Amino acid sequence: MNIFLRELKANLKSLLIWSAIIILLIFMAGAKYSAFAGDPEMLKMLDSMPKALLDALSMSAFNLTTISGFYGVMFIYFALMAAIAAAMWGSDSISKEERDKTVEFSLVLPVTRSRVVTAKGLAALVNCVVFVLITWVVSLVAVQSYNPDQVFYNFLALEMQAMFVIELIFLAIGLLLGCAMKQYKRSGSTAVAIILTAYFLSIVSVMNEKLDFLKYFTPFKFFDAAALLQSGKLDATYLLLSAAIIIVCVAAAYWSYNKRDLYI
Amino acid sequence: MSIIEVTNLTKFYGKSRGIVDVSFSEEEGEIFGFIGPNGAGKSTTIRLLLSLIHPTSGSAKVFGKDVVTHGPEIRRDIGYLPSEVFYYEGMKVIELLKYSASFYGKDCTERLHELSEYMELELNRRISDLSYGNKKKVGIVQGLLHSPKLLFLDEPTSGLDPLMQRKFFDLIRKENARGVTVFFSSHILGEVQRLCNRVGIIREGKIVEISDIRTLQQNNYKKVNVTADGLNPATFDLPGVNNLQTEDGTLHFFFKGDINAVLQKISTIQVADVTIEEPTLEEIFMHYYE
Repeated sequence: MNIFLRELKANLKSLLIWSAIIILLIFMAGAKYSAFAGDPEMLKMLDSMPKALLDALSMSAFNLTTISGFYGVMFIYFALMAAIAAAMWGSDSISKEERDKTVEFSLVLPVTRSRVVTAKGLAALVNCVVFVLITWVVSLVAVQSYNPDQVFYNFLALEMQAMFVIELIFLAIGLLLGCAMKQYKRSGSTAVAIILTAYFLSIVSVMNEKLDFLKYFTPFKFFDAAALLQSGKLDATYLLLSAAIIIVCVAAAYWSYNKRDLYI
Repeated sequence: MSIIEVTNLTKFYGKSRGIVDVSFSEEEGEIFGFIGPNGAGKSTTIRLLLSLIHPTSGSAKVFGKDVVTHGPEIRRDIGYLPSEVFYYEGMKVIELLKYSASFYGKDCTERLHELSEYMELELNRRISDLSYGNKKKVGIVQGLLHSPKLLFLDEPTSGLDPLMQRKFFDLIRKENARGVTVFFSSHILGEVQRLCNRVGIIREGKIVEISDIRTLQQNNYKKVNVTADGLNPATFDLPGVNNLQTEDGTLHFFFKGDINAVLQKISTIQVADVTIEEPTLEEIFMHYYE
């Protein structure tokens, strides 16, 4: 409990910064939407754009002039931010002890390494939960002036659930990197590299039918906003796949952290 | 019972050497000195015993328990003062000490305040504002507040002023008198001699010698420098004198044996200056490799 609480306190600053960024993003998006809202001219203009470009920006499936459609396009940006934040929290909470050389204090205490990983993982998880809730609540506030319908509320709830699962996946990946990598300086940048690769794959996978299989390799395609809007639920196959990734990463994190030499 | 039992302990970091085939043991209540130059493997040995790193081969037991499998249990009764202390920068001294105390499942408050007062530690300052020496004081209090049965001290005096060093040594002696076993690593022979019963000398990852401190001292050389006008090196042609050299009117030599013999010789001449000092560790090592 003591490690968990200390970790929460140490993570607070980072949580505030990420929250400020997402709040800014939501309000900027809201301001942008006011230009699209209910404007048929805009729709025509978007229709005249090349389909490949719209696909790449995942804009083809949505009617941008409705708030649900607009939020569908925004989803990938929320997911990206959430992924980066979660991976950073996961990897940093472990690797910072080695970076700041506090590991010679914190792991000489009578604690098992597993207990340390558990406490730090849970503290990072709290950050992830708070981050989703803030995104959710601020979104609700930001769109009030457009009188959203029930469809939007349901869709937003679904998007936030998907965002949370994506956070969990990247939190687990981040935790694994922090636990497994001896070069603590690289765990953060490796995490970002993995996220950007996943994002790139999610773009490429819709460009060509032959590349469709790539969707299994990028969590950003597990919960495609367009599919969420149509089906109204999270896809069970992808939920299972997500759970598998999370379990494997977390198990590997514990295993490697218990086994390896700490870098001092 | 042996508190520490190290058997053929070897650690390689990839291909680079940490320690090779180190074996020794320390009995309950002993103050064991572990001396060697920088990079000899002193810290590596301690970190292996604390299970911060894992051995390549060989084994080590503390309190009769294997360090790899019983690390957390062993550490419950261990205090550790690293050579460089790093704590969470944002915390206040008192917060950090209470945090540390919270892991040992007993009330350490009284001891915490007692030790801080003794070490003249300001509890309300932020860790990040502390000087190197003050951080070291936090380390001393943190390492002792849970009344450990075994203390690991890794070059503990660096950063402490002479007055604090003395208080610190008194503290360690007091702890030892209460039955605490001390493992004292240092590259300063003098402080090891002042405190320890037995010493192990480590060099390039290998134990060179383990001996009683008295034996080591008897076998030890003193470094003598005499400055005088019209000095004749032949004056000091005594048994036990070694490496006699004259330089700018000053005579240098190493001496092993009864120091009174040298003093008598010195008293027969009009000297400008005399120093008799401990040889540096390197010089002792030279002796070991003669």
